[in-house]
Amino acid sequence: MGSNRRQFLLGSAAVIGAAATGLRPAFADQMNMRQIFWGSQERANRTYKTNDLFQQKNANDKIASEFYAWNDYWPKLATETAGGNAPDIIQMDYRYIVEYADRQAIAPLDAFVGKELDLSDFDQDQIDGGKVNGKLYGISLGANSVASIVNTAAFKEAGVPVPDNNSTYDDLKTACEAFKKANIRGGMKAFQDGSGVEPLLENWLRQKGKALYTADGKLGFNADDATAWFQLWDDLRQADLIVTPDDQALDTGPLANTMVVLGKAAVTFANSNQLVAFQALMKDPVTIVSFPRIAKGSKGGHYRKPSMFWSIAGASKMQSEAAKYLSFFIDDIDANKILGVERGIPAAKHVRDAIAPTLNKQDQIALNFVSNLGDLLGPIPPPPPSNAGEIDIDLMLKTSQQVAFGQMSPKDAGPYLVQQATDILARKG
Amino acid sequence: MAAGRVAEKRRRKRVFGVIAHIVLIAASIAMLYPLLWMLSASFRPQDEIFSSSSIIPSHLTVDAYVRGWQGLQVSFATFFTNSFIIAGLSVIGNLMACSITAFAFARLEFRGKRVWFALMLGTLMLPYQVTLIPQYVMFLHIGWVNTFLPLVVPKFLATDSFFIFLMVQFFRGIPRQLDEAAMIDGCSTWQIYTRIMLPLSTPVLVTAAIFTFIFTWDDFFGPLIYLNDMSRYTVTLALRSFVDSTAQSDYGGLFAMSILSLVPIFLFFLFFQRLLIEGIATTGMKR
Amino acid sequence: MTVRPIGATAGDVPLGRTVAISRWASFWRRNGTGYAFLTPWMLGFFLLTIGPALVSLYLSFTDFNLLQAPTWIGDANYVRIFTNDPKFLQAVRVTFFYAVVSVPLKLAFALAVAMALNRGLRGLPLYRAVFYLPSLLGSSVAIAVLWRQLFAGNGLMNHILALFGITGPSWISNPRYALWTLIILSVWQFGSPMIIFLAGLRQIPRDLYEAAAIDGASRARQFWSITLPLLTPVVFFNAIVQAIDAFKSFTPAFIISSGTGNPINSTLFYTLYLYQEAFGYFRMGNASALAWILLVIIAVFTGISFLTSRYWVHYDD
Repeated sequence: MGSNRRQFLLGSAAVIGAAATGLRPAFADQMNMRQIFWGSQERANRTYKTNDLFQQKNANDKIASEFYAWNDYWPKLATETAGGNAPDIIQMDYRYIVEYADRQAIAPLDAFVGKELDLSDFDQDQIDGGKVNGKLYGISLGANSVASIVNTAAFKEAGVPVPDNNSTYDDLKTACEAFKKANIRGGMKAFQDGSGVEPLLENWLRQKGKALYTADGKLGFNADDATAWFQLWDDLRQADLIVTPDDQALDTGPLANTMVVLGKAAVTFANSNQLVAFQALMKDPVTIVSFPRIAKGSKGGHYRKPSMFWSIAGASKMQSEAAKYLSFFIDDIDANKILGVERGIPAAKHVRDAIAPTLNKQDQIALNFVSNLGDLLGPIPPPPPSNAGEIDIDLMLKTSQQVAFGQMSPKDAGPYLVQQATDILARKG
Repeated sequence: MAAGRVAEKRRRKRVFGVIAHIVLIAASIAMLYPLLWMLSASFRPQDEIFSSSSIIPSHLTVDAYVRGWQGLQVSFATFFTNSFIIAGLSVIGNLMACSITAFAFARLEFRGKRVWFALMLGTLMLPYQVTLIPQYVMFLHIGWVNTFLPLVVPKFLATDSFFIFLMVQFFRGIPRQLDEAAMIDGCSTWQIYTRIMLPLSTPVLVTAAIFTFIFTWDDFFGPLIYLNDMSRYTVTLALRSFVDSTAQSDYGGLFAMSILSLVPIFLFFLFFQRLLIEGIATTGMKR
Repeated sequence: MTVRPIGATAGDVPLGRTVAISRWASFWRRNGTGYAFLTPWMLGFFLLTIGPALVSLYLSFTDFNLLQAPTWIGDANYVRIFTNDPKFLQAVRVTFFYAVVSVPLKLAFALAVAMALNRGLRGLPLYRAVFYLPSLLGSSVAIAVLWRQLFAGNGLMNHILALFGITGPSWISNPRYALWTLIILSVWQFGSPMIIFLAGLRQIPRDLYEAAAIDGASRARQFWSITLPLLTPVVFFNAIVQAIDAFKSFTPAFIISSGTGNPINSTLFYTLYLYQEAFGYFRMGNASALAWILLVIIAVFTGISFLTSRYWVHYDD
């Protein structure tokens, strides 16, 4: 082993080492920010175009962006945060914002309001939606509301009137019975089985003057409420008026597995900003209407919530630059013409007014729906407590499935739900 | 009389052979049906994909392939390149490191060998979740995140115990006399390793190469955690972007690119499968 | 001529010469080569395996939500898992059932097909490749979509059953049958053990069969008395490897149930539960505890398998 070989080896090791640590940019002035968001390629395209626009107008800023499917996004973000490596600009969801805010994984934005961040004609409820413990942690990227996705062609074919914003649960039952009689498309039902849909339960509770969670993070309903809820759906199920348990269990989350897309039902419960996505998956025309009222004239079930937020990483070294980006995103007209309502209805009024004429028919429907909820609209609830996510995606769904498949009676399901939910809320990390 | 019985036996054998072929072909179709379905779905227009479970599409279109290839803002050419680089480097790393380690366990004597061997086997049972986050933090601190290094370097440090174990079995099957003869001729240990062991181990090395290639090609969690830039994604990771649960998904593109992604590993396998069988057959599995 | 292990130097010290060799130098002289060759593995083991593994062991005694530093809570995680965690029991139940059913089925198919292919049929390489192809698909997202197509209410499976007049349920979304669709998925990918069995079969000398045939043994008898006994080492290897794989199985359940383990946790594999705890609910401490419990379960199982193997595995030497 001559010295030449040794030198060569050492030299190559050095080169590899240098390459491994990555080249640092030579430009001292350049602010390199990283951004992470979830969504489809469609959303990514719009976001990248917007980023390009931002970089044109702010020559010193560069944004490196990554996006992932929803399921992969959260492990990736959590891992990066655990390592202290979270991107500067983070897309955040209502479900996690409290967790991230509490652990200082995202930064309070109050210091930037009025300066880098101009929220002058932002809807107040959208601002409030991003607050945790009174401090602002996320800027709403669009408002949405819960909504029923309705297959109008199927209703026409069955000869049943399409539901509207005044329809009640009694109307739901009538429609189901009519659909059963009409027996179109291999036994399509009018409605999906909504017993496991947490936003639907919340909507139902709110109309009764209750809530899912109280302001101090406890359950806002009791076992009797829960039993009544499961009983309501079980009656429909026993009379074979809604989607069967087997079919309903096909819905594991992705849009393509929902009942309306699979053709098992004419109505599915979802969110207003998903109308375009649903339409893309279906041949029949779809529209959106409200969730059912519990009785004629009952109000306050809906609320406009932020569909998602931009937050800034707590450990970010470029918070002020990131705030500039946030402001650009929600404020700039050209940018919003690109973004449209893909993430939700823009919360800044002047932006809404500017892009309204550029929207296509479906987007207009979504915009109108959210803007004109009328007496359906109630105050926005406080952000859900941490661990609430587990109740939403896990407990509710599984309890409803147990009832549906006959493993538990509605009478038992009510207390079970309340007790399990209370346990979950009480659990520390 | 005997001639008749022999002819009878030969005929029965032929009939049996034909029946066997028929059964095998039927079984093959059953095995392959899901894949054939996916293949045909990749040639269908987007809105027809889920409307029937028959294999023959009514219209044929390569739209899904074109769309899928360009679909993400980085073309699949980049993803395939990345996958090849990572898989290729992993193969080299595994072959080098695992064979050296296996040589030590199979041929050399040293104190504590049994203990280390048991520990090495023990790592086979570790679920990856056990080491995931601490490894990530470590790689982060040395600045390797968003590079291929965390995916490739471990292979050069013999972390794939499965292959070490396999190679140990094989090396034990090579007669020690060869080593001794070489020693008499003045070979150093290293030379025994390079001039005797390795050349005689081609089958098992090929086996390890094939399996390593396939495993790394299919891995998505490692790339998910360690790669940030889309331009560095591997094929398997990129495929996941086709299906997002909150918005619309491109199933045609997904199927088309999945089929394409199968092609390299299938070809790899086809080409080397003869050596693969020999490789496993001579690892002394019967010992 | 005695075989002397490489590296031993005891016989090299000339007689009659007193040399002060320090303990360390003598150790190094004796074992140096071995350890030198072992260096890459030791680096890997200490840096990448044991180090992180010990950290995760530490984490299992903490409350770690990934977003903040861990806080020590002693054995609270373990206590809760063993006394108050119905999901843990469900996960164990599901995983065990999956392993106990899918592994023997998989091996049976693998062996049957390997035997069929071993007859020296024409087109053997092609068949081999065909049967191995499903395993190459691994666990891509495409599989999830495929499987739903096959096993949903109006999927292919039910179309075929309808030909026989049976109306099947929606297999993949019914809590009684969903796990079976995953078992079928696993068995469908029997290519790897099949290839290993093929190799094992190849190693059995033909003359054993010929001798038996001359003695009048039937095909079945030949199988039970020659093939199976001589194949036991391969069976053992395949069984262990497939079982460990089944215990650690994650991706099929993850992609088919979209990470939920539904319907009603009937597809909640152990590692899926672990994943939910770690990345779904930010309970990394608890997840680490679960991971270590799994490791112990696998180790115990493997240990018992090795101990009982002497009763049924026939080695040549």
